Amino acid sequence: MSGANPDTMRITLKVWRQKDTDAAGSFKTYYLHDVSPDMSFLEMLDVLNDRLIQTGDEPVAFDHDCREGICGMCSLVINGQAHGGDAGTTVCQLHMRRFADGQTIHVEPWRANAFPVVRDLVVDRSAFDRIMAAGGFISVHTGSAPDANAIPIPQETAEQAMDAAACIGCGACVAACPNSAAMLFVSAKVSHLGRLPQGKAEKDRRVVAMVQAMDAEGFGNCTNHFECEAACPKEISVENIATMNREFLVASFRSRDLG
Amino acid sequence: MLRWLGNALSSSIGKKILMALTGLFLVVFLAEHILGNLTLYKDADGTAFNDYKHTLESFGPLLKVAEIGLFAVFAAHIVLALKLALENREARKQKYAVRAHRGKATAASLSMLITGSLVLVYLFKHVVIDFRFNSAYHEAPAATVKETLSKPSNATFYVLAMAILGLHLAHGFRSAFQSIGASHPKLDPLLEIAGTAVAVLFAVGFATFPIYFLFFWTGGAS
Ligand code: HEM
Ligand code: FES
Repeated sequence: MSGANPDTMRITLKVWRQKDTDAAGSFKTYYLHDVSPDMSFLEMLDVLNDRLIQTGDEPVAFDHDCREGICGMCSLVINGQAHGGDAGTTVCQLHMRRFADGQTIHVEPWRANAFPVVRDLVVDRSAFDRIMAAGGFISVHTGSAPDANAIPIPQETAEQAMDAAACIGCGACVAACPNSAAMLFVSAKVSHLGRLPQGKAEKDRRVVAMVQAMDAEGFGNCTNHFECEAACPKEISVENIATMNREFLVASFRSRDLG
Repeated sequence: MLRWLGNALSSSIGKKILMALTGLFLVVFLAEHILGNLTLYKDADGTAFNDYKHTLESFGPLLKVAEIGLFAVFAAHIVLALKLALENREARKQKYAVRAHRGKATAASLSMLITGSLVLVYLFKHVVIDFRFNSAYHEAPAATVKETLSKPSNATFYVLAMAILGLHLAHGFRSAFQSIGASHPKLDPLLEIAGTAVAVLFAVGFATFPIYFLFFWTGGAS
């Protein structure tokens, strides 16, 4: 295809290819001449993979599921930015028109020891699952949805809890953090659950258990760069981190657990 | 008996809180220090500064305790800084080939270990060579300060060091409040301003001493 059609773009892709967790990875270069500006980034990768399959090559492995910005599966670092450069956008919602015709695009996986590469651009985010299993839940049966206003919750509290609950657990905060810290994720869960009446009962135990689990996974420590907030596709606020720090301190003193 | 406290403080958040508290304590020390130094401007012959130093010394063993306490806080701040920095390096063994920040991290926030380490280099000269462990300083305090700071090489070194301290505080002061959990939509914009103000006030405030004694002090009186 020649570049005659003004509605298509030429893109040079440098994609991280890695056979498995232990293999050494490297960038492979691919040239795409017929990229529609209306494609999403993932659709562009689909086109690349079709081509690779046709020529008998291994397709590029990457995570995705809903492709509508709600599941948290997609996870690419594009030209050094988690989910690409757009504010409040998952990479499945990022469109090729955001790139320039002829641009070279580096695609890398989330990089953090706690998120080992499984293959190519797919990383193992089960560290987040283990943190959730340590305390990111409510133990009591909360029954079916209660009648509206049966449990009074102040508007501001509900808003804050909802804002934190918007976290889709994609891990972009870790990927974007210069220290690979998971504080934004954990703090979103802590403040989402701890603010609501059903979750409040286990507030102290939850924050301590989740922080301990986070530390055990080998994430880095927060140094308040706030890159996580800027990269978060759901724009979770770093105020949650301050909230978690405060609650962790209070819980450590208040809890009757001497260990 | 205090295992719970050890566990809490050795966690990632615990270390951050200790980092913040030691940092804020050092800021309080800086405030006391700059107020004390202002006595240098009070008179030409240095009596006010010498009196200030004698007042401090009149506390005797209490001053020793304060000095040891200050040293301990510095040591804790530095040891924790190194530990956190090492852990953070370690947390991403495979680096990104392309790295682009989103504009939230700043030169100040990204260089805390470098600015901190340079402040440490400065402190060695300031404390060990120039003043605290220099016997000439204890014989003639104000005169030694003026002599030392009026040398162009020293004055340049001191001014540069204060610029670096300012950079450390430009991130550190605001960051410390976030670490100890003080964040609120009403508070955060104020902290932003206060952080810059504290950084500029200390950097410029301390830098006036070498600048004054280099350019405007005519020597002589002690
Ligand atoms: C007068 C001297 C100093 C003052 C007033 C000071 C103050 C502060 C403050 C307020 C913070 C913020 C803590 C936080 O983010 O929670 C900080 C962080 C830091 N300081 Fe200092 N500091 C001083 C000296 C030093 C020295 C000598 C080092 C030597 C290595 C150092 C290394 C660091 C590092 C690496 C951080 C960032 C740690 C982190 O965010 O995890 N500082 N400092
Ligand atoms: S694929 Fe579900 S959020 Fe992107």
